[in-house]
Amino acid sequence: MEEYDVVVVGAGPGGSMAAKTAAEKGLKTVFLERGREPGEKNSSGCGLGQRWWKDYPELMEKIKDLPSARKVEMVVINLFDEHDRLRYRSGTTGSDLCANRWPGGMDGVSVYRKDLDPFLAGLAVSAGAELRTSTLVSDVIMDDGAVTGVKTEDGESIKAGVVIAADGAMSTMARKSGMRNRWGGGCTLVPQLDFSCDSKRMDDVIGNAEWVWFGPLYGTYQVNFRDGFHIGAGQWLRPDWDDKPLDMMKKLVQMPPFQAMCRAIDAKPREYQAHLLPWLKKPPKTYTAGMMLVGDAAGFPCPLEAEGIWHAITSGKIAAQTAAWALSKGDVSERKLTEYERRWKASDLGKEHEFGEEFVNLWDASVFDPKLMVRQVQLLLEFSMLHPFSIVFDWGDAHMDCFNQHLEHFLDLIPEFGEFGSTYLKPMARGIWPRNVKHVLLMAKPRVPVLKHLSDERYFKVMARLSKKIAPFLDPGAKQDAPLPRGSL
Amino acid sequence: MEEIKIDLKNLVKRVDTDKMGDFITYDESRCDGCGRCALVCSFNLWSLKEGKARLAPNYREHCLECAGCWEICEAEAIDFWYPKGGTGVVIEYG
Repeated sequence: MEEYDVVVVGAGPGGSMAAKTAAEKGLKTVFLERGREPGEKNSSGCGLGQRWWKDYPELMEKIKDLPSARKVEMVVINLFDEHDRLRYRSGTTGSDLCANRWPGGMDGVSVYRKDLDPFLAGLAVSAGAELRTSTLVSDVIMDDGAVTGVKTEDGESIKAGVVIAADGAMSTMARKSGMRNRWGGGCTLVPQLDFSCDSKRMDDVIGNAEWVWFGPLYGTYQVNFRDGFHIGAGQWLRPDWDDKPLDMMKKLVQMPPFQAMCRAIDAKPREYQAHLLPWLKKPPKTYTAGMMLVGDAAGFPCPLEAEGIWHAITSGKIAAQTAAWALSKGDVSERKLTEYERRWKASDLGKEHEFGEEFVNLWDASVFDPKLMVRQVQLLLEFSMLHPFSIVFDWGDAHMDCFNQHLEHFLDLIPEFGEFGSTYLKPMARGIWPRNVKHVLLMAKPRVPVLKHLSDERYFKVMARLSKKIAPFLDPGAKQDAPLPRGSL
Repeated sequence: MEEIKIDLKNLVKRVDTDKMGDFITYDESRCDGCGRCALVCSFNLWSLKEGKARLAPNYREHCLECAGCWEICEAEAIDFWYPKGGTGVVIEYG
């Protein structure tokens, strides 16, 4: 029986990063991929966001030059009303803060998995990890309740000091080891339709942007690559679910503005895929004796926007570092591997999941509620009418009358969101940094007759006494650039 | 210009479908006939007959390997494992 320090199951981004990190630490490492090459069994949105520049700049420098890469400098949101009319196009991530954060003002990169996965796997191989392809792992080897290796479908047993399971949403490793079975309501199904396009026309018409199509009955992302794009629409797989996610996408494809875009960039349907995507309020247990789960297998995708590749490579790296540490201590027991959970919770990955429940509840109650979405689109459209550009171009009446009519309509819509706001938005208020709350209070201070002469410190003390709601933000012990703990408001 | 039409079945590439093995297993005695597997499948490989789900015998030739049927089945009548290494759906633009 062959024996390795670390056996990684899966050569997606999480597996490759785990294998690379383990090999760099001098551990004898193998990573096993069921596809004929890494990437051919994987699909995802694959827009690599800004955080990649922060955490993996050396990777991004190379990823941006992969053949299918397209830069992302903004996100264009196309908003339809309930009559399927395209009513509003808006860009996000375009402020000077976004633009100046990373080299060249580049926010992100979109790249097909057929480029990204082999690139990352190649780094692991260069670091000394052994890659085996067309190798399906079908079982775990258990010894006295601990995972001690894996079995391939051909009956080969591979012994491991530690197993890192990066085998995706349906994780054979998690299931065979008894850690879990189905996700039971916390998982989405994402159909994805890819189109080939003329890359020069894409440059002219789409530019360096991701697109989103949004309407009362559907929300569909469009990730743009060098010479193609794909659209995708996810939906939680739950008992109350009564529609095919695919139907949302089919509906979008019939929309005249979508068809117009396709004509403009010479888009032709090229490939259809579907994949599971865990989208959880909280990842379940991510380790057991002898094994750690990473990426989708662990349920790590972002609870707000379900991006999962950064989360996969980040958890892959942490898992391999933990493996090296545990092996050096000669102890890979479940108790020892609690260190993995401690480390990922203390990392940026854990920070993101701190608001998992609030983020998932918000989506669930808004985008996935068609009735509320009709009103929400109306509210967003009316909100968009209140900025100066819109008012200039509404000539339905005298401009100041138009402004007031829109303001009135907007104010009329707001009470309909009262319950939504107090149930789903209010719990997120604890996420506002105390120093931003103080900033607002200091802006108001010169206008408050009785308090304006107080010192800032005294002023905050008085304000804390006046309002129980803002008192926790003004607590001298509160960390200034971090959320307040759950339940503190 | 012509409207974009989509024929999903022709937009999936597969290799060695004859070597994939059985990767979906179904236990009819557990099935409660809820029909969600039929609803979730892009290619309608599940159907409902006499209150029980039926999987198309030629599912290997059409299955997207998404495992949606496994995840949606609360009765746990459906089990999904991956097809044999190096076979089945090949995603070129994922």
